[in-house]
Amino acid sequence: MASSAGGDEAGALVLEVNRQRVVARADVGAPLLSVLRGLGLTGAKRACGQGECGACTVLLDGQAVMSCMLLAAEVGTRAVTTVEGLADSCADLRAAFADRGAFQCGFCTPGHIVRAEALLRDGKATDETQVRKALSGNICRCTGYTAIVDAVLDTAARRQGAS
Amino acid sequence: MTTVGRRVRPVDWEAKTSGTAIYAADLVPEGMLVGRILRSPHAYARVRSIDTSAARQVPGVHAVVTAADLPAGRTYAHVGPPHSDRPLLARDVVRYVGEEVAAVAADTEEAAEAALRAIVVRYRSMRRAPLSVAQARAPRAAALHARDAGGRNVSVHMVGGWGDADTARAASAMTVEGRFHYPRINHACMEPSTTLAWWNAAEERLELWTSTQAPYFVTKEVALALGLEQDQVVCRDVAVGGGFGSKSKAGEHEILAALLSRASGRPVLMSLSREEEFAATKPRHDFSVNLRAHAAQDGRLSFLEADLDVDNGAYNHFGPMVMAVGVKTLGAIYEPDAATWDARLVDTALPPGGQFRGYGMPQISFAMESLVDELAELQDVDPLEYRLRNANQPGTVTLNGSRLGSARLAECLEAARDAIDWDRKKADPAPYRGVGVAAGMHGSGSHALHPQANRSEAIVTIDDQARVEVLFGGADAGTGQRTILAQIAAQELGVPLDSVSVVMGDTERAPFELGAWSSRGTHMGGHSVRKAALELGDRLRTTAARLLDCSAEEVELGDGSAHGPGNVTTIAAAVAADPDAREGRLSVHSVFVDTRMEPRGGANPRPSLSASYTFAAHAVEVEVDPGTGEIRILDYVAAHDIGRALNPTLVEGQVVGGVVQGLGAVLGEEMLHSHGRSITASYLGYPVPRAADVPRVRPLLIEGPEPAGPYDAKSVGEMSIVPPAAAVANAVYDAIGIRLRDLPFTPDKVLNALRERDGRKRQHRLWRRPDRWQSAVVRAAYPLGVEDALHKVGTRFARSVEPAALQELRHPSSTAELLQDLGPGTAVLGGGTDLHEQRRQRLTAPLTLLSVRDVAELRTHTTDDGGRLVIGAGVLLHSLEESSPLVPAVVAEAVSSIASAQIRAVATVGGNLVQAKRCWFFRSGFDCYKRGGTTCPCYAVTGDHRFYHAAVGAHRCQAVTPSDLATALVSLDGRVALAAADGTRRELPVDEFFTGPGETALRTGEIVDRVVLPSGSMAKVGVFRKLRRWEGDFAMLSVAITADVDTADRLLNPRVVFGALAQTPWSSQAVQDVLAGRRLDESTIAAAGLALDRELDREGHPLERNEWKLDAAVGLLRGELARLADHIRAG
Repeated sequence: MASSAGGDEAGALVLEVNRQRVVARADVGAPLLSVLRGLGLTGAKRACGQGECGACTVLLDGQAVMSCMLLAAEVGTRAVTTVEGLADSCADLRAAFADRGAFQCGFCTPGHIVRAEALLRDGKATDETQVRKALSGNICRCTGYTAIVDAVLDTAARRQGAS
Repeated sequence: MTTVGRRVRPVDWEAKTSGTAIYAADLVPEGMLVGRILRSPHAYARVRSIDTSAARQVPGVHAVVTAADLPAGRTYAHVGPPHSDRPLLARDVVRYVGEEVAAVAADTEEAAEAALRAIVVRYRSMRRAPLSVAQARAPRAAALHARDAGGRNVSVHMVGGWGDADTARAASAMTVEGRFHYPRINHACMEPSTTLAWWNAAEERLELWTSTQAPYFVTKEVALALGLEQDQVVCRDVAVGGGFGSKSKAGEHEILAALLSRASGRPVLMSLSREEEFAATKPRHDFSVNLRAHAAQDGRLSFLEADLDVDNGAYNHFGPMVMAVGVKTLGAIYEPDAATWDARLVDTALPPGGQFRGYGMPQISFAMESLVDELAELQDVDPLEYRLRNANQPGTVTLNGSRLGSARLAECLEAARDAIDWDRKKADPAPYRGVGVAAGMHGSGSHALHPQANRSEAIVTIDDQARVEVLFGGADAGTGQRTILAQIAAQELGVPLDSVSVVMGDTERAPFELGAWSSRGTHMGGHSVRKAALELGDRLRTTAARLLDCSAEEVELGDGSAHGPGNVTTIAAAVAADPDAREGRLSVHSVFVDTRMEPRGGANPRPSLSASYTFAAHAVEVEVDPGTGEIRILDYVAAHDIGRALNPTLVEGQVVGGVVQGLGAVLGEEMLHSHGRSITASYLGYPVPRAADVPRVRPLLIEGPEPAGPYDAKSVGEMSIVPPAAAVANAVYDAIGIRLRDLPFTPDKVLNALRERDGRKRQHRLWRRPDRWQSAVVRAAYPLGVEDALHKVGTRFARSVEPAALQELRHPSSTAELLQDLGPGTAVLGGGTDLHEQRRQRLTAPLTLLSVRDVAELRTHTTDDGGRLVIGAGVLLHSLEESSPLVPAVVAEAVSSIASAQIRAVATVGGNLVQAKRCWFFRSGFDCYKRGGTTCPCYAVTGDHRFYHAAVGAHRCQAVTPSDLATALVSLDGRVALAAADGTRRELPVDEFFTGPGETALRTGEIVDRVVLPSGSMAKVGVFRKLRRWEGDFAMLSVAITADVDTADRLLNPRVVFGALAQTPWSSQAVQDVLAGRRLDESTIAAAGLALDRELDREGHPLERNEWKLDAAVGLLRGELARLADHIRAG
């Protein structure tokens, strides 16, 4: 059976966000980013709205995606995790960002944190070349990237050592 | 405890890394409205009438403002009279595409957009709009303004010099000269320009939460615009997402949000779209610089003569100042005897230029530092050594009047030389590699633009819990100034850093401060906060001395305590005991005035604007690929004379960040326009560097005393962006002997220069190719009036897509169900990564989307009974990316080059194949042939077609098929299976599936069902690589190569397919013939390259400026064949 969003049902949308079931009112064309921000989760940023910069990155079933290019009504039962939902569990990564100077203005930082945390969890933050390529969907206009790459590699090494 | 000089964490780190820092757009006060701007679609037109009556009737609209609502003649002040020339909203004339004509505020974005569409503006387009400096200076150009500077469209004509030019000219022993071009560069701050404005009618006061570096200038400009006193406008502290100069003066968004809030009585949020950010904000000025550099008999750089045009854009803003500051570079860094200039600020019907980190210096420095290398070469002196001989010395006055205290340029040069291993690399150069160096100088703050630019104030307060608050009127857009100020207060008051809070940008609470511009943050703010904290510390010591029964001099503040010779008390107790404490709080308000800074426009014609000057030397190693024209940065060291780093991590961040921003302008960034309209108004079209595009930049901090600085500190923020262009240009020259003078250094320029040097010329023999005659004639006729006619007349008949809101999203569970629903007004939704863009760009407006999310059969990826690989159309790209046993190498490589990990996580195979062309005219709203129909022109013929258009076989549309996957699939002789509602299935080869640029054989009612790869695909060797402007970009050119390899390592069934070369994936028969049956050794690779070269002579029909792609195809082929040979050798 096909499921459908829109028409008479337009408005009520049930999502799982940061392990909580939430009900949002949204037009069928609303991107996930708008819905999340409407819920007060303003960590994901609208910097381009075109899927080109990564500032709106969230996890969808653990996979980093651009929330500005994903219709909220397309999410379905998949779990959405925002930077707010990750912040506690990646305190080490965040501290590494602070120690390395991996943010300046901070606007791209939530997206970078989410993307980097997904990379770390996948065990793919193994060397500088790989990390640089993997982070290339996230633009940072301030830092010139070196500090971000180092923060991610530091965290990978620490977690490797701890495990 | 010492905090100054330590690598402490930024004070805002927890908020900024957890997503809880509040930026202007994160605030949603009750009743907030959304602001939107109606912009001019014309480059230069009279505004005959504006009718807003229908817009005001749109439900949910609360305010509409136009020039009619404003006092006549009211303009932005900007740099000040007589240069203030820009109205707040266009009144009678629009002078660039994107100029603000009206603004609306409504309950929702949709209502605001509807209101914009309902505003009727009648324009009368003006002829001969000056769309470039050359056009503006042409005798028949229309004048954009009535100016009296002399010369058509010249806003400011500045002629002058320092020193005795005649004597210097007479003493010249050798001369070099060149013409250098630095294009428009966008700041591309991650946070779009955003303002929340809230007018309080009862109190007649306006509050602003705005993305700014300089709240003072915002309140001043907004007050002027609204006819208020400056203190009726108040800025509040809010996180700011990057500035780089763009936010160092008021922007239009602040003024318009304020006007809308006053008109509606409601809070209004105005946040620009990324497209507006690129197309309608004020970029770095485009400079064209003719420079001549002389050396005297002793070889010393002795004289500089500059003749330059600065593209002002449509209004002055700070153009006159940017030009003047840029010219000052001629009298800095070295010690010439004289310099002269003839500089014109030229009006063009393009967005006005603004302030950008470096402020004119990067442009002039590029020319100057390139010619310094040429002078060294002329004398057979090492360019780094030559700079050492000419470097500014401490304690001297430069030609431009700067009084130097410390000056460690020589130390910077030596440090850079050692770090990059200069001497060894110069002595033993590797092929196609080169090293280059460039230097620079910058003040710390500047006594310009405001009569009190040498003044800064701060209030530091300590309470009886020993908590410190710093009140400072500037704003921190990401420089770390907030942390630096906290470190200073903590240091002087002897309290831990975490007991200091810094309130910035609150103009109601904070005293006078002009904000973050001209590299003044640490110098001015550091001094004023230090002064306040020192005075407060003295108070505490005096009071504590009474409690401790000792003298004030004996008291030391530290660890939150006041230590006497024998005993100790808490700082809190000292605060409580102070007679001046009020409610347990003790405050000092400091006024810092730096009398060493001399004002611009004062008695001294060559004022020393700053109290200290910083120097830098950058050295870079590059590798140039002579086959593809790519420049790779292998190593980059940046040595900075910073006096003392108050927080080395933050200082290094300013260095590395500035270098990479500078490298962006070197390697690819440039804002391009056609007919006055931006074609690079997205991160797709405007290549901001990504992490994989740039190397690890290595900062070297050269420290030492500087009495003028707070704790010896000098500036860093702007210095770092100045040297990269010349450093790379000099390194490229060292590598290949080609001097690049036109930024950015894209591969087309490298290959064109190499071809010209080698005297190679392609012969396409069109007269022998009747199938190309029609295209050749049309192309030849375009610049002769055909394009003009189609543009002006033909586009009136353009078809268009009416925007419509999406009504439904369905999730069919089978292909059959999906096909049943497929009909008029519907579209298939894969990852949506192109579909949503096409909806936004008004290329399509489906009412119903049919998602493939739940169609399991479309998402399968298997091997069938015949050993064929079957990949469902709904399979996600990222699942192909992993080298799973079901994905041939050529496909895996192609897929991993597509967009970003986040996009590949949702994008589908079918969606990738059917995505529309990415031509930046088609995608930028041009009514082109493909968007508007046959009466419309192809804008690529005369527009900028260097990168993304066909060089082989195009007809009326010059676009190419954007899918990289398609190129790879053709190289495997893949097939596409299509399904229709009536049950018909058909299968066709991928190369027949593509019928035109991003156009397919898909019929109405059909969908892509699956991709099928022949059995044996997995056994093939394969490589894929593309030339792109940034990691994840669409291909400028790509090649996919596959073959079977026999036991003797001979290639069988080789397939060589190029993407983005022709309209559809293009196979090279000639190369395949050469490769078949041969081992892939050097002679085979050479023969293949030669065969392709000749085939492209026969088959190519490039546009005027994309012939380089034919050369690049040969280079790419050779490189990839070599890589394939390595694979084969490695087994």
